Amino acid sequence: MQNCDDIILKNLRKRIFVTSVKRGAVHWASAYSSLEILYSLYVRGVLKIDKENLNDAARDRFVLSKGHAAIGMYAVMEYVGILEENEMETFLTPGTRLSAEPCKRDLPWVEASSGSLGHGLPIGLGMALSQKIKGSERKTYVLVGDGECQEGSVWEAAFAASAHKADNLTVILDCNGLQKMNSTEETMNTVNWRAKWEAFGWQVDEVDGHDVNALCRILGESNQKDRPRIVIAHTVKGHGVPTMENDASWHFKIPKKKEMQSICRELEITEEL
Amino acid sequence: MQRAFMGKLLEIAEKDSNVIEILADSGSNLDELFRRNFPGRLLNFGIAEQNAIGVSAGMAMSGFVPFVFLQGAFIAYRAMEFIRDDLCFHNANVKLIGQGSGLALSGLGPSHHTTEDIGVLRNLPGLCIISPATPIQVRECTEYIYGINGPCYMRIGMNGEHEYFDDDYSLPSCGFDIFGSGKKILIISTGSILEEVVPASDILNNHGIETTVINLFQIKPFNSSALLNKIEELSPEYIVTVEEHQVGSGIGNMLSDAIERAGKTYSIISIGFDDTFAKGYNETQHNVRVENEIDAEGIARRVENGYSKGI
Repeated sequence: MQNCDDIILKNLRKRIFVTSVKRGAVHWASAYSSLEILYSLYVRGVLKIDKENLNDAARDRFVLSKGHAAIGMYAVMEYVGILEENEMETFLTPGTRLSAEPCKRDLPWVEASSGSLGHGLPIGLGMALSQKIKGSERKTYVLVGDGECQEGSVWEAAFAASAHKADNLTVILDCNGLQKMNSTEETMNTVNWRAKWEAFGWQVDEVDGHDVNALCRILGESNQKDRPRIVIAHTVKGHGVPTMENDASWHFKIPKKKEMQSICRELEITEEL
Repeated sequence: MQRAFMGKLLEIAEKDSNVIEILADSGSNLDELFRRNFPGRLLNFGIAEQNAIGVSAGMAMSGFVPFVFLQGAFIAYRAMEFIRDDLCFHNANVKLIGQGSGLALSGLGPSHHTTEDIGVLRNLPGLCIISPATPIQVRECTEYIYGINGPCYMRIGMNGEHEYFDDDYSLPSCGFDIFGSGKKILIISTGSILEEVVPASDILNNHGIETTVINLFQIKPFNSSALLNKIEELSPEYIVTVEEHQVGSGIGNMLSDAIERAGKTYSIISIGFDDTFAKGYNETQHNVRVENEIDAEGIARRVENGYSKGI
């Protein structure tokens, strides 16, 4: 029997796919690898925010550094009521607030606009250090992709977070092993994440990135004193849709008719797309 | 100029506990003074300019007012996308202080010359750009950019620049200062090269070519209407722009563009770097200016040549 989380997540997957296909948008496979992470943060309450007062200075911060998972974040935010009811319908239509990469200009609750990779971790580090200087107990979370970690600025921030003892900073690494053109390993030999981050002085945890209970448990833990933390979330790009799983081409592919039929069957979508 | 900046920053930081200083291994003894006076409010992020700018954005979004003190070349070129995405697109209240503007780091060569920063950064939406000429003007500009709620870039020299203002000087709202009232030549310059331009105007005046000098310290927003009104009032025979910068993207270009848009016609001589890097390596900024003919005598010579040939 499916539990409540699974049913909600399946509906969110449908919502993401249907919305994307209607607008000819891509990147849903990236959103699917991050979906349980976003769900744990915003629906299961890992992130300490007041939905009635999203500007509250005493809030946890979350920066979506892999901005192309925005549609996944929108689906979650629509579900929790931070977006307006059915606002996903406006995605990429004239006058919408919903860009394919999140923009703070139009969505004030977005902590930082993203799109160009390698920006979210430096910004998140700035937020975490600000919380520390102000004596706040709140934390900062940053979601980065494993392909994104090829950007040099990620490692500039990795040095800095360690040197500045940002023990209220948690990076969640969406480790799906794929990037636009190929696997991350074949592209840039990005193996052994644990050793890399440990070498920079970070606390490293690992988790099944699609296990909501495990994610909630580990993301809710505190960091070791004086150490920034990375949670390596092992994920599957396109998770939940066997046709797309672990296939790099779905980073930007528009499905053909036959593929569309398979995907709709797998997602139990009955409406005509 | 660095001393003038730090003197004012210490004053501001004393009054506003949200003011912090960020370095990327880029400070001096003056910054140690900030660290001593305000423990915990000076953060050094090592030789990593992109991260320093990104962190400053995150801190500004959390209520701090970061003053990021870096070499101008490494701000404008290395971290440009971080200024665009993290500061400008978020209208983050971060003050970038670029030291070593123009040829101030003369002996280190073009890698350290900040001769394209205006061109690179003036394209960015919402970024205020200030280019003061003297230590007292730096002091006043520091207060000015602190008062702006948004990203600012102030480029400053570092070689004990000559002072042309009195201690009670305050910034004119038009964005520029005027020296002299000669009718034949109007020289418009920006930054510390004013210390070559004013002596150049003395040489020209002595040769009977009456010259006025305008020091344009506010690059962006560019108050072109005030400048064009002043030009019309002076109606010089020639306008000369002088900058330690590429003329194609600096104030030479800005002025030509403004004049053209206003439908006016003036003869303009643009002095600076014309699609080339600076020549020469020397311990003094003045000597490199001499090699590139942008010292007082070089400027005067070039203006006189142009003037006599009727260019």
